[in-house]
Amino acid sequence: MAVNTLTMTALVLIYLAATLIIGYLGYKKTKSSEDYLVAGRCSHPVIIALSYGATFISTSAIIGFGGQAANLGMSLIWLTVLNIGVGILLAFVLFGKKTREIGHRLSAVTFPDLMCKIYKSPVLQYIAGFIIVVSMPLYTAAILIGGARFIEPTLGIDYTTALILFAVITAGYVVFGGLIAVMYTDAFQGTIMLIGMTVLLALTLVAVGGWTTGATALTNMADLVPKALASQGMTGWTTMPELGSPIWFTVITTLVLGVGIGVLAQPQLVVRFMTAKDNKSLNRAILVGGPFILMMTGVAFTVGALSNVYFYQTSGKIAIDAAGGNVDAIMPLFINQAMPEIFVVIFMLTLLSAAMSTLSALYHAMGTALICDLWGRGKECALSLKAHQAGIVIMMVLSTILALLMPISIIARATVMFMGLCACAFLPAFAVGVYAKAPSTKAALYSMVTGAVVWFVWTAFFHAAEAKPLGLCQALFGKVTLLGAPWTAVDPIVIALPISLIVMVVMQVQAGKAQPAATAV
Amino acid sequence: MLFGIPDLQIVLGYGLSIGLALACIVYGWLYWNEGDGGNGS
Repeated sequence: MAVNTLTMTALVLIYLAATLIIGYLGYKKTKSSEDYLVAGRCSHPVIIALSYGATFISTSAIIGFGGQAANLGMSLIWLTVLNIGVGILLAFVLFGKKTREIGHRLSAVTFPDLMCKIYKSPVLQYIAGFIIVVSMPLYTAAILIGGARFIEPTLGIDYTTALILFAVITAGYVVFGGLIAVMYTDAFQGTIMLIGMTVLLALTLVAVGGWTTGATALTNMADLVPKALASQGMTGWTTMPELGSPIWFTVITTLVLGVGIGVLAQPQLVVRFMTAKDNKSLNRAILVGGPFILMMTGVAFTVGALSNVYFYQTSGKIAIDAAGGNVDAIMPLFINQAMPEIFVVIFMLTLLSAAMSTLSALYHAMGTALICDLWGRGKECALSLKAHQAGIVIMMVLSTILALLMPISIIARATVMFMGLCACAFLPAFAVGVYAKAPSTKAALYSMVTGAVVWFVWTAFFHAAEAKPLGLCQALFGKVTLLGAPWTAVDPIVIALPISLIVMVVMQVQAGKAQPAATAV
Repeated sequence: MLFGIPDLQIVLGYGLSIGLALACIVYGWLYWNEGDGGNGS
């Protein structure tokens, strides 16, 4: 690492101290269960926007997806279109306001609790809580590993210690300060991320000679696309992949649709809507949220793609070759080689902020799901602060163990898998629940279970990216996937979400027709 | 070729990203004071 270790360590320690102090302020403001679970339902619009954005954007969005843009090109910009259009505008305007109103009226405190109260079905709360408690630790483990990998060389401590320290420090302010502490620290971390990504874009454009010069140079590198990628449909870094090719399916179905739509029904993000005092707060949060996301994913994808120009001009290699074939190593390598020393420090703090803000939200969502929605559902104990604190500690320990034990090939897919599962299982029932006058419990139940089951089957038996590391199809049928191309590249969300949606809509319409008849009888 | 990018789909992607971010700013500004109360009760 180019940066003086002492400087880096000092700045990381100052950052951690500031985070803990802000977390402590959140703790001091936490007086009731409602404060702990939904931040007292009176969060400031800027805090809501930054917390939502910082929770949404994890290290993998910057490092992982930035690396993917370096490898696959600027076509990933379509994910930014969905991140802003769906993840902010649609989410806040169509779902956020209704979620806040209903959540306030029904006194819902978690996403499964909201579903239970809308549909008047404890079973739905159990199912949603179960999906969260089972799937979210995998995503959490991925964030933990990303953070520990950064802390290990930065502070010069071994990987296991780094992982445990990272988990314990983040859980510390979540356990004591609840959602107020989480959202306060998110806002602080979101601000650091915004500064870091803005400077990154400016310095990258300087490094490649400005936008048009850099983009033209990248366009002229099209004949350098590796043969393995070209044979699968990649045509260059400034052009879309060939329509219907394996790379087109990967970019469009997995990266753009999978992550772009998946964000709509993520429990830890839905809860942010319930922290707003009124719809005015959500309107104001949109103003900050849109530009924030543009500066996160838009910058990461642009910088990732343009890094090819820098590496080619300085070493004669494209980015993926310069990073030794490791997509996740491209962005850190580019930062270390192309940026001034002081920015390396700023960017490292940006990454730490991205990891901690997502991690704290996941701890809170998992812990409250375990206590409020599973163990203590319907009981007074579910509203006890101590019970929730215990729940967060239990889920933190489980996620840490998972991070230490799970194979990295599975963990690497965790972000996409989690978002896909959330969308397939929750989105249709959530959307109908907040809009229908008489939402059908049976429809929601069938839609949720169908979405989750079809998602799992397609993930384990058809989609090569997950089926291969999971190994279930290989063990049962002696082959990696049950179908060949192009199905192996079609993301589970493209199959499972429409099925879940059809089940929801058909059963909801049937229930609507049956209701007047039943009344007449 | 527009701004060094030969594919209009990529240019459109960038245009939409920036346009949607601006739409968020305009929406927040237009509805800055709308949405008091309304807790659905």
